[in-house]
Amino acid sequence: MRRLLLASLLAVSCRPAADRPASAVPPPAQRIVSLAPSATELLFALGAGDHVVGRTTWCRYPPAALRVPDVGDGLNPNIEAVVARRPDLVVLYKSQLNESAAAQLHRLGIRSIVLAQDRLEDVARGARLLGPLVGQARAGDSIAAAIEGLLSAPPPPSHVRVAFVVWDNPPMVIGAGSYLDQLATLAGATNVFHDLRSASATVSLETIAARDPDAIVTLSDSTAPPPYASRPEWRAIRAVRERRFIMLPADLFGRPSPTAPTAVAALRRTLEAEVPR
Amino acid sequence: MSRWLGLVALTAAALVLAVVLGPAHVALADLTSSDIVRTLRVPRALLALLVGGSLAVAGTSLQALVRNPLADPFLLGLSGGAGLGAVLALALHVGGPWGLPVAAFAGALGAMALVYRLGLVGGAQLDPRILLLAGVAVGAFAGAITTAIVSLAEAAQLRNAFLWLWGGLSGASWNTVFVMAAYIPVPLIVLYAAARPLDLLALGEEPATHLGADVEPLKRRVYLAASLLTAAAVAVSGVIGFVGLIVPHIARLVWGHRHRSLFPAAFLGGGTLLLFADTAARVSVAPRELPVGIVTALVGVPLFAALLRRWTRG
Repeated sequence: MRRLLLASLLAVSCRPAADRPASAVPPPAQRIVSLAPSATELLFALGAGDHVVGRTTWCRYPPAALRVPDVGDGLNPNIEAVVARRPDLVVLYKSQLNESAAAQLHRLGIRSIVLAQDRLEDVARGARLLGPLVGQARAGDSIAAAIEGLLSAPPPPSHVRVAFVVWDNPPMVIGAGSYLDQLATLAGATNVFHDLRSASATVSLETIAARDPDAIVTLSDSTAPPPYASRPEWRAIRAVRERRFIMLPADLFGRPSPTAPTAVAALRRTLEAEVPR
Repeated sequence: MSRWLGLVALTAAALVLAVVLGPAHVALADLTSSDIVRTLRVPRALLALLVGGSLAVAGTSLQALVRNPLADPFLLGLSGGAGLGAVLALALHVGGPWGLPVAAFAGALGAMALVYRLGLVGGAQLDPRILLLAGVAVGAFAGAITTAIVSLAEAAQLRNAFLWLWGGLSGASWNTVFVMAAYIPVPLIVLYAAARPLDLLALGEEPATHLGADVEPLKRRVYLAASLLTAAAVAVSGVIGFVGLIVPHIARLVWGHRHRSLFPAAFLGGGTLLLFADTAARVSVAPRELPVGIVTALVGVPLFAALLRRWTRG
């Protein structure tokens, strides 16, 4: 019975694609499956949250997103679970792992869009692309304008040097390729690993010690220092010895997001409280 | 004699290089006062020596035990067990500075116990062939569970757990050096004491028995001591490959098949190879760092090929 139902759902979801004239602008998506946390947040920010009918296990922001049915992973997604939500638009994260998913959706006649969501520019581009598809072109433009304004304003002079530590063994830090490096610059801080072009990289502890950041920045919802803070080898780093840890809540800082202006303002306040000029 | 002098000199040179070279610039005059040298480089160099030495000795003894040149410390399922322990610790958020190493050690011991039990399946005798098969099977089983946990965990944790498994010495501190230095003498002494009977075992189990070796207890002692060495190494540095496979062969090419000289040569050789490899891993792509297991393979394999050529010609 279930299988029959699924088959009929498949048939229904395929029909509009077959009937639609090629040249017409498609109507705004009514049933959207979002397969990336950043895309889910963007859809809710665009005002299309009510039309999101599927999300990944990792889409936990905004809180309203938790009420949307979970279809599993966003990388190499479970196409059957996605299709069962009868979407007319699927938003995929740009990755080689998702290419076969995009092709399968195409064969099923389901519209999909692939968004890179790694840098703040991607948020602006994503808002402009996604806005018209969900009937929120003006909201998309306004989000994009806010992000572009943030990026084009001259950054404040840097008075704090920070290192973003994302893993302790092996030690991994954030480089210039990450949106976190952008947030730091915009908030008046310098990432001591800005010379690394990738988003993140493994480095030696002695490199962190030698670059001597004023504070270690970590994505964490807890306010307790990370477990490695008490390990002797980490105490070669001055910021660790002096317990200068800045914990960034994942909701606001965990992904490139339309709330970047708020995140930048919050980071600037934290930096000024933590490391006075 | 000159072979020994050469090896000791090489080890000393590797130690000096590991302390003098690094991604951070430390002037030679500041070497003794620098915090970076004292709390990071020196313990890391000593740990490389101890881990490399332990892996090479474990590899030497296991190759003799199972009489298979392909045996290495991780073939008998220990890496799979240690990896499972480590990933479980990460998934269950086991905290504390020793959470991960202790979990990895426990995982390795669990795998060792399972493989040992399976090795005895045919009766009271430890069959090397069954030991090998059991090691591969237990390793694959633990690996499958590890991959299942990792694939259900969050993407960032997934990548990081695998990075730890590839091995590295970035967790080195005086604490880990002291723990290793206190721990490894017992299995090393047990293996060294078995040097002569292991020479006999190379002739086959039956001839060894006729020549007076007590084969059954010998096999158990050697297997347990080698596994305990490997478990400690994997707990402090993850799975560092090639040292335990290639260094024993290099040592055999230069020192012959007598385990009394083979063990010390393998220990110093393994330590030296890992010291050079870790220095290269830290310095070659600075400020980034390579996984040291990649460097041990890149350095060890050509070295081995060159020695093999010389040896087969001579």
